[in-house]
Amino acid sequence: MLDQLQKQFGAKLLHVWQPNGRRAYVKLSDEDLAAVARYLVDRGARLAIITGIDTRNGIELLYHFFVTGEHLMLTLKTLVRKPKPQTVSLAPWLPAANWGEREITDLLGVTFTDHPDPRRLLLADSWPEGVYPLRRDFKGLPQ
Amino acid sequence: MKPSLWGLKKSPWVYHVALSPCNNCDIEILDVLTPRFDVERFGIKLVGSPRHADALLVTGSINRHVLPRFIELYKQTAKPCVVFAIGSCALSSTMFRDSYNIVGPLDEVLKKIDPNAIVAYVPGCPPKPEAIIAGVVKALKAL
Amino acid sequence: MEIGYFFLAVAVVLVLGLATSWIDRKVTALVQARVGPPWYQPVADIAKLLGKEMLVPENSRAMGFTVAPVIGFGAACVAAAILFGTLITGRGFVGDIIVLIYLLTIPSIALIIGACASGSPVSVLGASREIKMLLAYELPLLIVVVAAVMRAGGDFRITILAQQAVSVSGIVGGVVALICIQAKLGLVPFDCPEAEQELMGGVLAEYSGPALALFKITKAMLLAILPVFLCVLFLGGFHLAGWSILWSVLKYVGVLVLVVLIRNTNPRLRIDQITRLFWGPVALLAAAALVLAAFSL
Repeated sequence: MLDQLQKQFGAKLLHVWQPNGRRAYVKLSDEDLAAVARYLVDRGARLAIITGIDTRNGIELLYHFFVTGEHLMLTLKTLVRKPKPQTVSLAPWLPAANWGEREITDLLGVTFTDHPDPRRLLLADSWPEGVYPLRRDFKGLPQ
Repeated sequence: MKPSLWGLKKSPWVYHVALSPCNNCDIEILDVLTPRFDVERFGIKLVGSPRHADALLVTGSINRHVLPRFIELYKQTAKPCVVFAIGSCALSSTMFRDSYNIVGPLDEVLKKIDPNAIVAYVPGCPPKPEAIIAGVVKALKAL
Repeated sequence: MEIGYFFLAVAVVLVLGLATSWIDRKVTALVQARVGPPWYQPVADIAKLLGKEMLVPENSRAMGFTVAPVIGFGAACVAAAILFGTLITGRGFVGDIIVLIYLLTIPSIALIIGACASGSPVSVLGASREIKMLLAYELPLLIVVVAAVMRAGGDFRITILAQQAVSVSGIVGGVVALICIQAKLGLVPFDCPEAEQELMGGVLAEYSGPALALFKITKAMLLAILPVFLCVLFLGGFHLAGWSILWSVLKYVGVLVLVVLIRNTNPRLRIDQITRLFWGPVALLAAAALVLAAFSL
């Protein structure tokens, strides 16, 4: 699958790293993410989960795909810059991404444009808007 | 001793309150209520409504979602009642102490609503059914 | 003088009721291979409930909510007085069996009124199930009572009905009445109005403190009255003279243990299964008892 990706997308894959036979990481820019994800899903890969982490350069989003034929867990990494992090949503055509993106919106504050259902998922109703608990600068709510 | 106090010591009806625990303490509570441990000797009976209960078996830490619901439930329990904090999560929130969603340990939250609340503690993660029975019996003796 | 008999009967049935509810819990415990509660457990339950505060929900009709348990308790007291008073003193009036049957439906109606006045969807659901169950089991019960009266020659007095010997229609009627009693008492397999696991206490969900104590006392008194009712009508009556006392007590305890054993060995039925059961096989059995009684069998 990695070879097929490299043949199809070439220079768009900014960095490819495969530490062992079952795990691979591909770094992309966020404009190319939707196309690469579409390519993977059309060839039978399944989205397992979407995770995110707040790094010093921005918020890094990781989309973990499981490539069924090869027992390969392929992770697509993109970086979205603050102060207003946003990227295109995969949820309109990939239902598996629906809740993952809502969770990241709640906890990290990344906006996914065109998400069909951008409601709050995890945080309590009494949680204030605009406060994202998993960001580096979150020090606790004022009691 | 007043007859109603004697009645409370001899016939504590129990209501199980699970405030989003990991459910191990719930499994141990269900084990206590099986015929093997036979808590009906002490008059303990599981009831379906908090209004019938004398003892609330609380598991899990109090988080923001559950806080208003727990307050409602405590107000609905007919006093006098004993609140049993079962397991380390209810006692002190253990490793979740500094998490963004946790409000506080059970007794601090309860003392804010009702300073006269009677709270008994059964430590363990999860406490064995024998420990739960010992805790309930000791608390009833001390009433 | 009569008022003395009334209070004596109520006191006897109260004590007997608490004792039978303890027997129920003890036999349940023995069936489940464990030791059960001590003998003073029902007294402790009632004492505790009387000492708790009574919470009246905000959007309930407070009048109906608080008066309903008293109505149920009152009806159970009068039913106890009629049945036991008639059996002990031998004086009744024509038609007292009909009054007794009316009085024995009032505790269920008090539960329904109280549940509907509670203002909570869980109670209303329990109340609707209780209404359907009431309609379901009253039909076979009335048919077999008519069968017993016909067997006694059309006499509507408890004292005459109590003198009957055991007969085939009596046995069949007794079986039907046993099933109907299980439903009237709200015991498994017919306890879906007060389903603890499913409906959070169902009809009694919003009750606490003294009102709940009254409902429990009413249920205990019914547990004492209804087996006697069954013995009087179908199993040859209660003769309180000489060796017959032992035989009567054995009959009473036998019916009680049957009720408890049925309770312990059966799952809970759904309300549509209950109505189908009572308006189907049980009603047919009751009709068979009626036919047998018409032929004086």
